This record gives sequence, C-alpha cells and structure tokens, in this order.
Amino acid sequence: MAHAVLSKARPVVGAVALVCSMLAAASAGAYAQDAKVITEWDQQTNATSSKVLRDGADRFEKADPGYKVEDSHVLNEAYKTKLKVAFGANQPPCVFESWGGGPLHEYVKAGQIVDLTPYLQKDPGYHDRFLNTSWNAVTYDNKVYGVAAENASAAVIFYNKDIFKQYNLTPPRTWDELMHVVQVLNSHGVSPFALSNKNKWTGSMYYMYLVDRIGGPEVFRKAVNRAPGGSFDDPAFVKAGEYIQQLVKANGFAPGYNGLDYDVGASRRLMYSGRAAMELMGGWEASTIENENPAFYSKLDFFPFPSVPGGKGDPRDVIGTVGDGFLSISSECKYPQEAFKLIQSLTDEKAMEGRVGDKKIPPVKNIAVSDPFLKRLQALIVDAPNVQLWYDQELPPKLGELHKDTSQALFGLSLTPQAAAEQMEAAAKAGS
Amino acid sequence: MNIALSAVSARRARISSQWLVIAAFLAPALVLLAVFMLYPLVSSVRLSFVDWNGLGNNAKFTGLTNWINLAHDAVFWQAFGNNVILAVTSVVIELPIALVLAVLLEKAGRGSRILKILYFLPLLMSSVAIGVLFKNVYDPNFGPLNVGLRAMGLDVLAQDWLGDRRFSLASTIAVICWQNVPFYMILFLAGLSSMSPELYEAAVLDGASEWTIFWRIKLPHLQGTVRTAVLLSVLGSLRYFDLIYVMTGGGPENSSELMATYMYRSVFSSFQLGYGSTIGTAMFIIVFAVAMVAMRMTRRYATEV
Repeated sequence: MAHAVLSKARPVVGAVALVCSMLAAASAGAYAQDAKVITEWDQQTNATSSKVLRDGADRFEKADPGYKVEDSHVLNEAYKTKLKVAFGANQPPCVFESWGGGPLHEYVKAGQIVDLTPYLQKDPGYHDRFLNTSWNAVTYDNKVYGVAAENASAAVIFYNKDIFKQYNLTPPRTWDELMHVVQVLNSHGVSPFALSNKNKWTGSMYYMYLVDRIGGPEVFRKAVNRAPGGSFDDPAFVKAGEYIQQLVKANGFAPGYNGLDYDVGASRRLMYSGRAAMELMGGWEASTIENENPAFYSKLDFFPFPSVPGGKGDPRDVIGTVGDGFLSISSECKYPQEAFKLIQSLTDEKAMEGRVGDKKIPPVKNIAVSDPFLKRLQALIVDAPNVQLWYDQELPPKLGELHKDTSQALFGLSLTPQAAAEQMEAAAKAGS
Repeated sequence: MNIALSAVSARRARISSQWLVIAAFLAPALVLLAVFMLYPLVSSVRLSFVDWNGLGNNAKFTGLTNWINLAHDAVFWQAFGNNVILAVTSVVIELPIALVLAVLLEKAGRGSRILKILYFLPLLMSSVAIGVLFKNVYDPNFGPLNVGLRAMGLDVLAQDWLGDRRFSLASTIAVICWQNVPFYMILFLAGLSSMSPELYEAAVLDGASEWTIFWRIKLPHLQGTVRTAVLLSVLGSLRYFDLIYVMTGGGPENSSELMATYMYRSVFSSFQLGYGSTIGTAMFIIVFAVAMVAMRMTRRYATEV
C-alpha cells in the first residue's frame, strides 16, 4: 500500500525536480549574460517614431556595453494607465516618457522621480541645446525632472483652401472676421468647424486660446499658482466661455460635436468630406492627414487663432507644448547615471534628425526643418512670446479633469460661463 | 472488545484524515479567494478613508471625508441613477426578447441552427470592437443609422445619438441589450431543453394551443431560469463598464456616466485613488445589498410556488 503511494508520488517528485532544474538553468542563464537591464517606456507607437528611440537605445548600448535597454511602446490612454499602475506598485520603468505638467508633478511629489538638475548642471552644453521654453513643463520648485524629447507643437486652425476659395473667404485675423467666415460657410450649408469633443481636450483648445487672447498668459498662470489676484473666476475665463457659446449658437460646429470621437477620426472625416471647413487642432494633425488622406493634404492650410476685440493677449501667443514627450528617470532605477546617458542618446543630434524625418519639430535650437508646413509652424512656436502648455497637462490631474468636464458642458450649453468659472475656482481653492 | 476499539479509533483516524483531505483540497481555492477577493476588498475599504493619489506613501487619513463628499456628489448619484435605469431596461427589454427568441428557436428545431449561430454572434465579439462599430453606426453625419433615416425622409428622427445628453444613455443601452440578449437566449434555450417532451405532447393531445402551452407549461418550467437571469442582469448592470467606457466615456457631461466609469475616471484620470476606492466600496455595498435582497425575495417566491 505504502509502496503504491510512493510509486504514485514519484512522477510528481520527478516533475518538481524537473521544474527546479529548469528554474536553476534559467537563472544561471540570466547570470551568465550579465547584462544590466534598463527599461524604457514611451507612447511612441508608430513605426518611425519608435524606431528613432530604439536607434538611440542601440547607440547607448554600443557606447556602454554591459547595459541592455528594454523598450516598450504603448498608445496614449493605455500608456497613462500603465504608468500609473506601475508607479503605484513601485515597479516603474527606469526611463519613461510623459507629457510633463500636472500629472508628472504628482509622481514628483511622491518622490518617485529623479531630480535631473545636477546632471544638467554638469553638462551645460547639453542643457543649452534645448529651447528655453521646453523646460517649463518639467520644472517644479526650480528643479528639473525631465528632458523634452519628441516634438514642439501648437494648436492652429487648419482649413480647406478649396472651400475658402470657392466662397471668397480669407483666413480671419480677428474674432469678428471669424464670425463672418462662420456665417458665410453656414449660408452655403458647410459647417464651419469640425470638432470631436467626446475627448474634451479637443474643445478645451478653444477655451485656452480665448483665455489667452482675452486676458493674456498671466491670468491662467496666476490662477494656477494661486498668486495674489489670481482666480479661475477671473472675467477672462468667464468671457472665454461666453465666446465659445456665441460660436456654438452661431452653428459654428458640425452637428454631434460633443459625442464625436477624435480617436476614430470623426472630425477629420468631416474635413475630408468637405462638410466642415476648419478644425482647431495640434500641429500633428498635418502629418496624420498626410498619412491618412494624401489627396486631401494638398487642400490643407492653417492660420493662427484670431485675436479678440479689446483683448490683452498677444495674438502671436500659442497654446501647445515644447517637447510633447519628456524623458524622466524613476527613483527606483538602479542605474540613474547610465539612465541619464540613455536619455542623452535618445535626444542626441541623430535622434533629433530622425524626428525631423518623422515630421516633428524637435524641441532644440538651430535645427533645420525642410518641410514648408513644419517650417511655418516652427517659426510660429519660436516667435511666440508665450507658449502655454495644454491646461489638462499643466493643471493638477483633478482640476484638469474638472476643466475638461466644464468646457464640454460649455459647448453643450448646459453650464453658464459664470458657473463653469466658479466651479473651477471652488475646486482650486479646495485643492490648495 | 479489542477489535471494536480499534475500529473506533480507525474511524476516528479516517475522519480526521478526511478533514485533512478536505482542507488540503480547499486550501488552493481559499488562498486564491483570500488573495484575489478578500484582500482587495478589505484594502479598498481601507483606501476609502484616505486622501491619496496612489503614488508613493503620502496617503493622508481623512476619516469619513470621502464618504461625506460622495453623499453630496451629484455626479455619483446621477451615475447610480443611470445604473438603475440600465438594470431596469436590461430586465424589461433583454429578457423578453431573449425568451421569445429562445421559444421560437426551440420550436423551429434543427432548421434553426444557422439562426442560433447568428443570434449568438454578438456575444462572441469583444465589447471594444462592438463599441467602435456602433460609434460609427451612430455617427450623426456619416453613420448608416442617420443616413438611412434621412434617405427615408425621416430627417426629424436623425438625431445626435451619442453627443446629445438626452439620447446618449439610451443609445448605449440599446447596444448593451443587443450584446446581452444572446446570453439570456442561450440560458433559456438550455432551460427549455430540460423540459420533458412528454409534457408537451400530452398538452398537444389534450388540445392546448401553443399560446396556452407557453404560458401554462413552458414559462412555469423556466421559472428558476428566469429568476437566475433577472439576478444576473441586475447585478451585471450595476457593475457595468465596458461599452459605456468605449462609446461615450460616460459623457457628454456625465449623461451616460455609470458608477464604474466614474470610479475609473477618478482613479486614473484625476489621480484620486482614495475617492475612487470610496466609489468602488459604495458600489460594492449597493451590489451586495441588492444581491441579498434579491436572493431573499426569490427564495420566498420559490417556497411559495
């Protein structure tokens, strides 16, 4: 009996032994390789953009043998969730890309990000290569926590040249001219603006520009920093809401805007079909359109956001980002020294040239962009007296969400501009 | 005597070894339950009392603040209301359709095999794919729904299905029903197949009409299945997340927000892990209470009949 049990048990013991030996072999293999792994995460999922990063990693591996870079590329929304979970579980990647601003500040406040200031001070040549405005999104309490890597971009109004020509329209430079364009287009059955506002940050662009044109960049800056006199119910914010609702009431947007999804290309479809003539969107839209619909690309042009009557803001100001992807190092990283070298190699001359080839405007000084469209956009950003980072990136996450919710409600005409501003101010007060 | 004693001790030994065996076999399941159910549950209750962004270790204990905020949070109550609407419509719309389909398919017998497969398809598709598909169907400018309505001259009916606060919830619920009907259909089909054919034959011989057979024989036979289906669909609706998240993200302006989508937004977009856990715990309490009441009620019902 006992014997039978034993003989039955034997295969189990055998299996356990086999597994053990396999594990031993596996770990022995890992030790034998002796490569120190640096993980790198980013949100650059298209083939060219991720290759620029991989090539940079290859250059780093060559210069620093003994280190291996394990890169992974995940798309926007999933990427945000992945980062959050990884940091929450204290297993973050060594080097990672983010959009800077408020969300990155949360990680910084939790002590999970390496202060890069000493590294940058050691290498002023590297530091000075970047556009000065690029550091704003990653500097907290005068310490720098990231390096701008990917793209300088600003929101501009794209428009269909053919439609404008057909109805004898010229790119408007003031709000009144814009309202005239809106009226003419509507009278011919063409929707003026294509907007996919399910995503909310899309409609937020109008709001941000209007606040800047009405009150200048200081209004928002003071409100965020809770500086004396700064408040989210400043008349500039209320006025911006009023302008948006004026545009909505004048049928400024193609029907269904609050439910259309940018991620499935709903607004671009309106542009392609000629049902809408304009779209306020980040500069990346041009390369997206060129890839998606090369025939339509030839009809595409852009103009900057118009000024508003009596506005204090400089019409040359832009809303956008100087960097788009910012590289940071997590405190959990075992090799911060090498991780910084990796960042340098991901942002070196070769990488930046690669990004030019990828229709991006690298956030560095003196880089030649040949594409005529990008050249104009680059000039717009470099000449801008102020580049305001997207609110939803700059604000603390909770306020950023509220801003997106209230601006969608403004577009839906279900919240008055005054109430929207008051909600923001109440939340900002509660948060500080 | 000696023999009897040894028999007793042997039995005792067998009993204790039986317990050992039971414990040994249950242990893996218990450990899994403890790790994946009990621990997360307890820690989310714990987290509901803190103010924390989910990063590092700067969590602040704030007592009942989160719960007080939740009680005054209009968005949460709207989301809860939407969950209730979803639960009611699931029961009122999904189950009757599923029942009718099941009865008809069962009656059609072998000839209905292709139909069975066709009706079953929505259940096999991933929610994300369905969501994207119907986002396009509902597109106010290019979607087949509105284009079709306009082609028939029904321009008045061509609405902004997902972008209008009045329709967004109803539009998504329609898709949720479309996705879930096959599941209940299969459930009812299984229930019907367990009915003995003699009953049916006897009723036919006695001259009962199909209508009478359905109401007097088939439906009473399915009683248990219907109860299960109601319970499943109510609980499923209270915890629902995926299609709403994909199609509207809870918007516009929270008009289609559910408790689960609101929780997700709080944790992952607003970085409020503490408050998100409060929503999650509240959701658990609500679902738990509903489940308890429903079980109690159906039990009473079961003994009465």
